[in-house]
Amino acid sequence: MEHYEIMLIFSPELEKEEHEEVLNGLSDVIVKQAGTVGTILNWRKRRLAYEINKLQEGHYYLIYFSGPGTIIPEIEHYFRVTDDVIRYMVVRTDEQEYAAAAEKAASEAAAAEKAADAAETAEAIEDAAATEETELAEETELAEEAEPAEEAEPAEEAEPAEEAEPAEEAEPAEEAEPAEEAEPAEEAEPAEEAGPTDIDEAAETENAASESEKPEETSGKEKTDQ
Amino acid sequence: MRRDRGRKPKKKICSFCVDKIESVDYKQYEKLKRFVTERGKVLPRRISGNCARHQRQLTRAIKKARIMALLPFTME
Ligand SMILES: [Zn+2]
Repeated sequence: MEHYEIMLIFSPELEKEEHEEVLNGLSDVIVKQAGTVGTILNWRKRRLAYEINKLQEGHYYLIYFSGPGTIIPEIEHYFRVTDDVIRYMVVRTDEQEYAAAAEKAASEAAAAEKAADAAETAEAIEDAAATEETELAEETELAEEAEPAEEAEPAEEAEPAEEAEPAEEAEPAEEAEPAEEAEPAEEAEPAEEAGPTDIDEAAETENAASESEKPEETSGKEKTDQ
Repeated sequence: MRRDRGRKPKKKICSFCVDKIESVDYKQYEKLKRFVTERGKVLPRRISGNCARHQRQLTRAIKKARIMALLPFTME
């Protein structure tokens, strides 16, 4: 049994349900091959450092699983027949990272729950105070202040009904390291030139990588091949 | 590029060793940017001061990050 990490990129226009459909299919593949699916982390939408299939952004996910190495070709096959995934990479990982991912997911879930609770409480408060318009106005103001806070904690005191939607975004934990998302934008422009050539280079690097590293490491989705 | 006549006697230290990084993670691509030139090339060890082990890990991490479009490929 080995531990693996899959990073994949969905086409950016896809909805959460479509992500889930693909991820469920992936889980089925893994389970069918006597593997175990661990943590799945939504790495969210990011700017691509260069265009892939003319797309400038993609929705990233990380999937951790353990199982025999024989799963890998099955996973490759699955992605080959799944158009929604514009690129993926499977790398071997260790137990530490595997566990760390689980921890991260747990803290994200807790944060989301907290935010949801806060939203519920906020609704209750709102109902109770519905007649007192001045108070409500005040709350809204507060809500606006609370929102930009990147941490999930403010959600606790957050009266805002608005927190209800942000609940979904309340995965700030995962933003922790990749945080500076704004920067990739800078690199996006020059990448346009790199566009036509990047595919070849990717393929080369990929081969180099799989030769020099563990053979289980694969990546794919060079659609230009077809 | 330009070769300096007198080489710098200043000893460089591997920042990954300093930070006690066990293995360089491609997912932390923001951190890796610091070791890539404007053209997207990996900074050589003599500039970055990385130890051989971490430089090797770094090179691999950057390759992975490039494949996943987290970092750009070298621009000519
Ligand atoms: Zn080092």
